[in-house]
Amino acid sequence: MRKKKITPGWLALNLISIVMAVIYLAPVVFAFFVSLQHEGKQIKSIFSWFTPPYTLENYPFIIMNSQVPTWLFNSIFISVVSTVLTLIVTSMAAYAIAKIPFKGSRWFFLFFLLGMMVPGEATIVPLFITVNKLKLIDTYAGLILPGIAGSMNLIIMTSFFKGIPDELLEAVKIDGGGYWTMFTKIIVPLSKTILSTVCIFSFIGSWNSYLWPLLCAMSSEMFTLPIGVPTFAGTYTVDYVLPLTASMVASLPMLIIYIIFEKRIVSGITLGAIKG
Amino acid sequence: MGKKRKQVRIFLAAFCFLLPFLVLYSLFTIWPVIQGFYVSMHKWTLMGKQEFIGFENYLDFLGDKSFWGALKNTFKFVLITCPMLVVVALSLALLANRPTRMKRSLRIIYYLPSVLSVSIASLIAGSVFAPYKGLLNGVLVWAGIIKAGEDLQFLMDKSLVWVTVSTMTVWWTVGFSMLLFVSALQEISPEMYEAAEIDGATKSQQLRRIVLPLLKPTIWLVILLQTLACFKVFGQIFNITGGGPANSTRPIIQYIYESAFEKGKMGYAASMSYVLFAILLVFSLIQQKIQRKGESR
Repeated sequence: MRKKKITPGWLALNLISIVMAVIYLAPVVFAFFVSLQHEGKQIKSIFSWFTPPYTLENYPFIIMNSQVPTWLFNSIFISVVSTVLTLIVTSMAAYAIAKIPFKGSRWFFLFFLLGMMVPGEATIVPLFITVNKLKLIDTYAGLILPGIAGSMNLIIMTSFFKGIPDELLEAVKIDGGGYWTMFTKIIVPLSKTILSTVCIFSFIGSWNSYLWPLLCAMSSEMFTLPIGVPTFAGTYTVDYVLPLTASMVASLPMLIIYIIFEKRIVSGITLGAIKG
Repeated sequence: MGKKRKQVRIFLAAFCFLLPFLVLYSLFTIWPVIQGFYVSMHKWTLMGKQEFIGFENYLDFLGDKSFWGALKNTFKFVLITCPMLVVVALSLALLANRPTRMKRSLRIIYYLPSVLSVSIASLIAGSVFAPYKGLLNGVLVWAGIIKAGEDLQFLMDKSLVWVTVSTMTVWWTVGFSMLLFVSALQEISPEMYEAAEIDGATKSQQLRRIVLPLLKPTIWLVILLQTLACFKVFGQIFNITGGGPANSTRPIIQYIYESAFEKGKMGYAASMSYVLFAILLVFSLIQQKIQRKGESR
C-alpha cells in the first residue's frame, strides 16, 4: 500500500472531481426541482427554481391530463417484450452456434457477424419500406421486432456458451436428453450472469430507443415516452414546469434501474466494448 | 448412410434453434441494406415505387446544396465534439480512478446522464441552455458574468448553438468512454507507479511517461467509437435546435429523415443513406482492425 499524503495537489484534484460531479448532476437536479414548482411562478433569479413552496401536484396533473400514462404503458410493454424476445431468440441461436456441431455453423456465424457492419441509422428508409410492406407500421410488432436480432448480443452469448464444458452436455445426452434439454437444463442456468447483463442492456436500449419509434409510431396512442414527451413539451413553450415533470416521469424508472444495477451495467459496458 | 442421416438430423436441430434469429436478422438487418440499393435506383415516394431512374438520385444529391450543408454540419459536429469527448472522458476517468473514498460515487455520477433517452436528455439540456429562465444563463447572471436580460442565446446564435449541442453530447455520452478508460487504467499494475515513485518521478511525469503510453490502444478505440457515434448524430440536434438556426446545425441523418418522411422522397433519401453507410463502414472497419491488433497483444 502506498501511503496517502495530503498535499495541495491532492485537495485540488478532489475539489475538481466534486465540481465535475456537481456539473454532471446539475441538469437532472434542476429538472427535478423545477418539477416541484407551481406553474407560472415568478422567476426572479435562478434560485427561484430551487426555493419553496414546493408541490407534488404536477405529477398527478400530468398523469390525468396527458397521454403520458399511455406512453408509459407502451414504453414498459415494448421494453419488456423486446427484452424477453431478445433473450430467447439470441440465446437459442448462440447455443446452436456454440454447442451444436453442425455443418455450416461457421458460415452462419460469419453471416451474423455482418450485422456489426450495418449501422441501423443508415438503413431506416428501406427498413421503413419493409416494415410497411408487412403492414407493421404503427403496431407493437413493428416497434419491437426490428430490434430483436442483434449481432453484438449474439457474439457475446456465443463466446460465453463456448466456455461451458462439453462434459456437462454429454451427461444430459447419456440420460437420454435432447438438444432442448441441454439448452434449458444446462446452458441457461449456467449463463445467468451473461443473460442478465444482456437483459439489462436490451431493456435500457429499448426504453431509450428514439429513431425507430419516431418513424414507426404514427399515432399518439403508439408513442413511447421518448417520442411522446417532446411532443407534449412542445405544447408548453413558455413554462418548463410541466415539460420537465414529464421528463422526470420518463427518466425516473431508468434512473432507479441504474442505481440498482449499477455494478452490472458498468461491468457489462466494458465487456461489450472489448468483445465487440 | 447412417452417418449422413445423423448429420442431417443435427443440422435440422441446429436450424430450429437458429430459425427465429435468422428470420428476424435477415429481414430487418440484412435485407434493408439490399433493398436500400434497389430503392435508391428508383423514384420512390411514400406511396411506393414510381419508376426506375438508375443513378439519378445519386447525381441529384451531388448537386444538392442542402445535402452538402448537412454533410458539412455532420463533419463539423464530429470535429468539435469528438476531441472534447476524448479529453473529457480521459480526465474524468483519471479523476474517478484516484484512490479516494468517493471513487465509486464519482463513476456513478459521471455515467448517470447516459441512462437518459436522447429526447429526454435534450429536453433537460434545452431548459439548461435556454435564455431568461434557463439554468446556465441564470448562473452566469448570478456570477455577474453577464447582465440580467442580456442572456446568451445558446439555442439561436449560430456559433453558440454548436457549444450547446456539443456540450450536451459530451455531458450525455461521455460516461461510456470514461468507463472504458477506467477499466484500462485498472489494468496498469500498481508496481509500475511504485517503481516510478522510487525513481523519483512526479505525478505528472508518471502520467506522461507511463499512463498515457499504456492507454494508447484505448485512446484510439475511444476516438474511433466516438467518431462513429458522432457521425450518427441526430436525436439531440433534432430535439434541441431542430437543425436550426436556418439549418445551420442540421446533420445528415436529419436531412435523410426530412427528405424521406416529410418530403416523401424515399429513393433520394435511400441514396444519401448509402453515403452515410460508406462513411460509417470505413470507420468501423478501421476500428475492428485496431481492436484486433489490441487483442493480439
